[in-house]
Amino acid sequence: MTKDREKTIRTKSIDLDNYKKGEASFSSTLEMSPKTFIGKITAARHAILEIMGEKKERIFVGEDEVIIGRTPDCDIQLLVENVSRRHARIIYKSEEYQVEDLGSTNGVYVNGIKVERCILRQHDIIEIGGVKIQFIEEKIGQDHDLK
Amino acid sequence: MTSSNNTNKMYITFWGTRGSVSTPGRITEKYGGNTPCVSVSCQDIRVIFDAGTGIRNLGMELLGEIKEKENPPSLHLFLSHTHWDHIQGLPFFMPSYHKNTKLTIYGSPYKGGFLESILKEQMDSEYFPVSMSAFPADIKIREISEEIIRLGPLIIEWQEQVHHPGGSVRYRVNFNGKKVVYATDVELNNIFNEKENSEENRRLGREYIGFITDADLLIADGQYTEDEYPDKVGWGHSSIPVLLDTAFRSNVKQVAIFHHDPQHSDKFIDELWIKNRAIYRSKSRKMDLFWAREGLTLAI
Repeated sequence: MTKDREKTIRTKSIDLDNYKKGEASFSSTLEMSPKTFIGKITAARHAILEIMGEKKERIFVGEDEVIIGRTPDCDIQLLVENVSRRHARIIYKSEEYQVEDLGSTNGVYVNGIKVERCILRQHDIIEIGGVKIQFIEEKIGQDHDLK
Repeated sequence: MTSSNNTNKMYITFWGTRGSVSTPGRITEKYGGNTPCVSVSCQDIRVIFDAGTGIRNLGMELLGEIKEKENPPSLHLFLSHTHWDHIQGLPFFMPSYHKNTKLTIYGSPYKGGFLESILKEQMDSEYFPVSMSAFPADIKIREISEEIIRLGPLIIEWQEQVHHPGGSVRYRVNFNGKKVVYATDVELNNIFNEKENSEENRRLGREYIGFITDADLLIADGQYTEDEYPDKVGWGHSSIPVLLDTAFRSNVKQVAIFHHDPQHSDKFIDELWIKNRAIYRSKSRKMDLFWAREGLTLAI
């Protein structure tokens, strides 16, 4: 985590029961604040990771690497049994966002396809241990009051 | 080409998926507008299929490895054929401009010794400002003579495909019990055609099925929809239903539909995917299918 990166404030537990899929049962929780910013966010370059479910949670990411996993040191902590300790990362490279599997047990899926790495496009659905996350990219030039 | 370094896997990356002509723009951003280029990275071997415009981005990524490493990975470019959309990126492949690069280019032996001249003519001063002989890299151009090619732990097999104007070659990479097939630019509708059930077609059909059977990943030409195909007969490309039906019958595990028609927008392809995935999800055996998109890496 870089020095200037904001600490993710985990203030709210979200019941992930609505992620029940097939035989998997996710009775654990996602720990995340209602509106979270990871790293330095600018109007010119940021994207939103929307945790899908009954209560959609929006996480704003900038150009810093974002680690997703089960352990508390991850930028996005998913307390779900099928999520590996350090499961995946979102990186910003060559002006594009990518998701990358960090050697997880259950893999990373983008729109249902198991991927090792994938450049993300608008409204792609990333699936990590059964948790679905929608990628939403805000285009350059759009001005937002981010905080 | 990926940060992953599991030596027991092949990493397949799509750099260009569009057929016929590069098609940049907002409506092709998701699946990509660059023409064919696919890489297979395994240990210190980098296999590249085709040199469409997608090879430019691959080159930019490889250049880092070539500059940084004392023993850079060896590059092996296998051309399916020499139509524009499969070679036009080669002059923009930056590793060719670096003296540390060792690149071998392979192609069909049935071009009458013309593979080297075709590639060089593309860089004639009438078409391009830099001649191929000016590349500082160590580049060898080989018309394939042996049945199989061994590159470190990889075994590459190949077969000629006659149902494409001028012909084309399909390749199969074997590693650690896994098979990845690259079979683009072939009109399967001509081979698997009940109206032309000739002995020659039956032989070609058996060859094709034998080549793709049990593939872990089949990257294959599916340029046209069933409705579009009748107006494109003889153009050397397959319709999606014929491709998928043949792959399913051949016990293919995953199909990457490739060589997208320039007229097919992201929205159109998304709709094709939803429709066809539903068809094959309802079948007795699981076969994953997706439309190949630029910037996607799979581990096999």
